[in-house]
Amino acid sequence: MIDSAKLNGRNGNEIEDEIADLERRLAEAKAKRSHSHPPLTKPLSSTLTSPTHFLLLLSDSALPLGSFAFSSGLESYLAHQKVIFRQPSSFASFLPLSISSYASTTLPFVLAAHRDPSLASLTALDDALDAAIVCTVGRRASVAQGRALLSIWERSFAGALTERGGGGVDGTEALRGFAALLRTTSTSTSTPALTNGTTTTTTTNTTKPPPNDDPPPPPPVSAHLAPLFGAISALAGLGLEQTAYVFMLGHVKALVSAAVRAGMFGPYQAQKTLASGAVQGLVAAVVEREWATAVEEAGQGVPVMDLWVGRHEVLYSRIFNS
Amino acid sequence: MNSPFPKSSSADGKGCIVVRRLPSGVSGLETFEYQYPLKLVTPKRPPQTSALVYLLSYGGGLVGGDQVNLTIEVKTGARLSLATQGHTKIFKSASPDIVTRQTMRVNIATNAAICLLPDPVQPFAHSVYEQIQIFRLAHNASLCLLDWVTEGRTALGEHWSFVKWVGRNEVWRMADDQATQDRLLVRDVAILDSKSVHPHLPALRESMNGLSIFGTLILRGPLMKSVGEFFLAEFGALPRLGARDWRNDDAKDSKESDDRLSPLDKWRAERLQGEKDSKVLWSAASVRGCVVVKFGAPTVEAGRLWIGSMLTQEGSIAHNFGEQALMCLRW
Repeated sequence: MIDSAKLNGRNGNEIEDEIADLERRLAEAKAKRSHSHPPLTKPLSSTLTSPTHFLLLLSDSALPLGSFAFSSGLESYLAHQKVIFRQPSSFASFLPLSISSYASTTLPFVLAAHRDPSLASLTALDDALDAAIVCTVGRRASVAQGRALLSIWERSFAGALTERGGGGVDGTEALRGFAALLRTTSTSTSTPALTNGTTTTTTTNTTKPPPNDDPPPPPPVSAHLAPLFGAISALAGLGLEQTAYVFMLGHVKALVSAAVRAGMFGPYQAQKTLASGAVQGLVAAVVEREWATAVEEAGQGVPVMDLWVGRHEVLYSRIFNS
Repeated sequence: MNSPFPKSSSADGKGCIVVRRLPSGVSGLETFEYQYPLKLVTPKRPPQTSALVYLLSYGGGLVGGDQVNLTIEVKTGARLSLATQGHTKIFKSASPDIVTRQTMRVNIATNAAICLLPDPVQPFAHSVYEQIQIFRLAHNASLCLLDWVTEGRTALGEHWSFVKWVGRNEVWRMADDQATQDRLLVRDVAILDSKSVHPHLPALRESMNGLSIFGTLILRGPLMKSVGEFFLAEFGALPRLGARDWRNDDAKDSKESDDRLSPLDKWRAERLQGEKDSKVLWSAASVRGCVVVKFGAPTVEAGRLWIGSMLTQEGSIAHNFGEQALMCLRW
């Protein structure tokens, strides 16, 4: 017993020493950690800010823009290469042309709307883009997606963004005003531009002009995708570069998805294409190229793309709307 | 004028044409001025229907750095046709920052009309060219505008070998009064740039996909209503790509069906065969009260033949402006 008490006593001291030693080392380790790392706080509030949240929503392929319905000329390109030119066609040769063409024609409008999302600016950009897409099929695709995005903002995003005070009152008011303007336009035209692509529809309550007279002026707004994407991204707190990148990547994702459904390749090849350095490089390069392009100077860099997109209407069988 | 472009400081190549309707009903030139390198020529006996001016340049082309600024006014009820005599050659620039530029600003008054059917622009290797054409149309004014560009001197092996080619066409609807602003109807811009921003982007030549000529036709106004509708109808009547002819060979060859065809049907069948053989691609769209036609062909002559055949068959241009208006489209 004595032995054991002695033992305990000796051991007791040793344990006390050991505890002290461990505590000292723990304190040292903690001190080291606090030097090398920022103090741990709530991770969600620091890394996933609200703009990131909306970045993920706007880049999500589940965003109901209806982009899946459009192939941006891919389907027509395939048919033309096969039937008329009897040449091999490949997604690898179409993709860079499409990225370059889409960027040179529409990206300046995204950037301009992000830089100034006021109602006056948005209306002017929408009108200028409507004058610049001189192709029925391209107009249909741009307007369908633009209207879908505006609806998403109105019905789904606006509430949440107003709650957190994002985008400012002016931006929200600008989009509300734009939506109201679009509604007055849509109700006064007998056929919406969506169905036939022509904007020369007559207003219902004006007297019919003589048959050879000028058609009435085009409606004030059409709701094209590019300016609305820029304005809504700005309201959601996305940066200018982020917005441009997401817009262009969205186009690439829609194309790749169309290629899968057209049977060009499978889902793994699709992801491989999306992940490739080539796509990243191309998107970054065209964003840089159009960074300072004025909307008046935006234009078609690949003229044959206008023919492919415009001639989508003469395909015998179609799975896409563009 | 509501234009986003800065005024050129260079006084080179200024020109001015004012056309008015004389009491006799004939369109006459009220002002007709030009200076080097621009040269304007008008025939001594112009057609009855329209004034006619040839846009020329000394030496048949524009040398690197040349600037041409042409202002045109077509007064109420008057008509003007513009043509060229041969391709507008764009010679090489000594360096990429020397831009050869043609600017045309055209005002068309009520019930007036302009028909611009020139030869195509032919940019040589190493040329740098920018063409800006701005049309302001008053109520019921009419415009026919053809803008086309070739790949260069094919015989010398040039295939889109220039440094840069920019073509900008704008159609504005003139404001009815002081309180409102001009409204942009169509802005069609082509930017053919040999500079590639990424190694995966194909060179300009490859991106043209075998085209040797590419053109845009813009039509607007009462005098172009018929020809515009013609293009839209013909585009709608194009055979579907990838469709099959299910008739048996007897039915296809039968003379009987040929005899029943109207002259228009016969012409169309021939034209469609021509489009197929020479691989002419085209599309037409109605855009904000204008009709915009785009076309491309693997040879310059196929393109010229196609557009010439279309406008000749429809006939209203020749009727309204005289045969001379179509002279650049003859083959």
